[in-house]
Amino acid sequence: MELSTVNNNQNVLEEEGKSNEGETIQFIVVRLGEEQYGINIRNIDNIVKMQHITRVPKMPPYLKGVINMRGEVIPVLSMRLKMGLEEDVITKATRILVVRLEEEGNVGFIVDEVKEVVTLADTDIERISRDNMSSRESLINAVGKHNGELISIFDLAAISLEEN
Amino acid sequence: MDVSQYLEIFLDETNEHLTNLNTRILELETDPENMDTINEIFRAAHSLKGMAGTMGFKRMQNLTHDMENVFSEVRNGVIKVNSEIIDVLFQCLDALEGYKDNIQDSADEGTNDNEPIIKMLNAILNGEKADDKKPAEKEAAAKPAAAQEDAAGDKWDHIPLDETQVAVIKEAQNQNKKVYGLNVVVQEGCILKAARAFLVFKAVEELAEIIVSNPSAQDVEDEKFDLDFTLIVLSDVELNDVIKAAASVSEIETVTGGVIDLANNTRLNPKAQSEAPEQKEEPKQAAPAPAAKEASSAPAASASSASEAPSSAAHKTETKKQTPAKPVVNRTVRVDIEKLDSLMNLVSELIIAKNSLVSASSQEQIDVNSAFNEQIEYLESVTTSLHESVMKVRMVPIESVVTKFPRMIRDLSKKLGKKMELYMTGEETELDRTVVDQIGDPLMHLLRNSADHGLETAEVRAERGKPAEGSIFLNAYQDGNTVVIEVGDDGNGIDVEAVKAKAIERGIVTPEQAAGMSEKEIINLLFLPSFSTAKQITDVSGRGVGLDVVKSMIESLSGDVEVKSKLGEGSTWTIRLPLTLAIIQALMVVVGKEKYAISLGSIQTLEDIPVSDVKLVQNKEVINLRGNVIPLIRLDKVLGVEKDRSNDENLIVVIVKKGDRLAGLVIDELIGQQEIVIKSLGKYIKQCKFISGATILGDGEIALILDTNALI
Repeated sequence: MELSTVNNNQNVLEEEGKSNEGETIQFIVVRLGEEQYGINIRNIDNIVKMQHITRVPKMPPYLKGVINMRGEVIPVLSMRLKMGLEEDVITKATRILVVRLEEEGNVGFIVDEVKEVVTLADTDIERISRDNMSSRESLINAVGKHNGELISIFDLAAISLEEN
Repeated sequence: MDVSQYLEIFLDETNEHLTNLNTRILELETDPENMDTINEIFRAAHSLKGMAGTMGFKRMQNLTHDMENVFSEVRNGVIKVNSEIIDVLFQCLDALEGYKDNIQDSADEGTNDNEPIIKMLNAILNGEKADDKKPAEKEAAAKPAAAQEDAAGDKWDHIPLDETQVAVIKEAQNQNKKVYGLNVVVQEGCILKAARAFLVFKAVEELAEIIVSNPSAQDVEDEKFDLDFTLIVLSDVELNDVIKAAASVSEIETVTGGVIDLANNTRLNPKAQSEAPEQKEEPKQAAPAPAAKEASSAPAASASSASEAPSSAAHKTETKKQTPAKPVVNRTVRVDIEKLDSLMNLVSELIIAKNSLVSASSQEQIDVNSAFNEQIEYLESVTTSLHESVMKVRMVPIESVVTKFPRMIRDLSKKLGKKMELYMTGEETELDRTVVDQIGDPLMHLLRNSADHGLETAEVRAERGKPAEGSIFLNAYQDGNTVVIEVGDDGNGIDVEAVKAKAIERGIVTPEQAAGMSEKEIINLLFLPSFSTAKQITDVSGRGVGLDVVKSMIESLSGDVEVKSKLGEGSTWTIRLPLTLAIIQALMVVVGKEKYAISLGSIQTLEDIPVSDVKLVQNKEVINLRGNVIPLIRLDKVLGVEKDRSNDENLIVVIVKKGDRLAGLVIDELIGQQEIVIKSLGKYIKQCKFISGATILGDGEIALILDTNALI
């Protein structure tokens, strides 16, 4: 599965803030443990099956190593460890989500499963304020409602910021 | 200095700058206050000036220099840009285009000085309107020039003649030959004065016989003259023809001449003058009346601004005359290095794909017929030559960097008042373009260092029985897949005691530490930031911001630098650089279950060491290898690899070197030598000390490249 993206916009909500009422944003919905998370489809470069990851020494545990994607060396993070969950259990459904970060280029995230693509209207997305957030929630900046379920939306800017 | 090899680059860059200037000046017209545009124009004009100067195109340099002056004033807010100034600037650009075309056709800038434009530029500078030149101003400008002419013009009358020369002149006069005195003034800033003078001699000799030269012909040849020299010639032709011939040589400022009459030792004819660019207007200028003389000596002001058409016509005929059948410059395409990089990446991909195909065909027991194998072999040879060609495109001789050094040393020699000579070898050695681009500054610094700190003063050299002239050398050669550049001198060498004292004084080391340091370690202190042993701060080798920068620049190119020195005999700095940054030969090794690549360039030997030979010194593991005590580095521990192997009886040890230091890396398994394509780990992974990059193996897996310099 390959998804090409046109605009490399990092911040879902910024985009949303500018857009008119009634506009919609597409998200890739992934599963981590029991929860669902969404990433703006614009930021996704590729989704690949789990593959051998080459470990890089002296890196924090969540930084699993690097993979080769079409000749490019891409770092891979464990989203679970990053968010303070337990270690990934690799199953057939495990995927690496390759996301474009503005500064750092492509980075892969390990997720338990890629579920679907959903289209959310502006009105279905609720912004979370930055106060009172646990480390787990600091990567989330909005929550979307879809078919009665909640989807936490990743703040990619926060993910890239944290490394610097 | 032979600059013809840079002609192509020069033309390409000139084109670029001219286009840039054209657009910027247009912008400026609509937005005269835009500082960015003004700065950009200033920069472009400045680069043009520098380039033209380096290439010896003086007229072009003069014009851009004056342009730059105007912009400098505009930048400082002294002059406000108006449409008249813009007009003049566009005329400048046209004139520069003219020079460029001449250079492209004949490798010579032509002889058009474009004096009217320079006049106008100066007028702008002096706060006048470009088209409103007051006669008074013109005269004022003309006068000093004329005065100078007079001073120079009389010179041939004061040449000391010996008896034989007088006899020769008398004899010639008896034969109805004419005796002329000529005074030739070379342009200020002319680089090859002697060569220009030689051309003047040659030109004159076609028409006349040179009997006296002051300074002597030998001195002129050795460049032992200031800006002018005087000749006495015998000829059958008219004085003006001789002057014309002499003035046709480029970079000759003026040629003045007169007839010599020994009898009363005064000239019979009033002085005739010629200026190089105006030869075509000779009749006007050679007019004997003093008034006309003054007018014509004003740099073309009256003559050519009054009638610009004839002047440019003259220019045109000239161009035509000089244009050979074929342009001397080959057409080149300048390619953005990023495009080359991406081409290189694609080739790397192809190589990786080819490698996997090869391994697949040998592993899988598919029914491989011979045709298939043949095609794979063909693919292999094609990819190899493709790779080589792409590499070659990126390789340039270091010549482009080092040829500026002799000139620099010559200037330094004058500045420092030390006699020195630069000897260079291996200028044709090729390196990756990115490396060549960055190696200039470190080399320049080392040379300056040698000239300033290395070489002793003449008195000291004499005392030590060394030749008065100091030697500085720069040798480049290829050594395996590295390129070695040595910079050295036969000067004083590094005074270890002085370095030590300085280090203690600066608080870099304590006296106790210093006492325990080897000579080598002390010399390495020189590479620390802000360390300079020069007793006086000079503007030549600076304030100790240098060697540390040299070192870090070279290390950023994956190279290293070391120094060997003997007090009183000189020092040699040795720089080692990888041939290319993109692809290296590497030894693939296994540590635990992980594969790593070690650059072959840093590997000394491979050893099989019995565990019993490992000794402990200060609680660190070392081995004694042929008399050298070498520290062992357990890669599995350093890299945090899970160890799942039982302890073998023998250790496989890769001996790597960093400068003179050795270390043994303990690995678990050797895979073999392989050409690998270096890939960056990306910006996301920043803090990884021991890993310098990654590479993709034939099976698509990634192996990390160990940075042995960081490990030792």
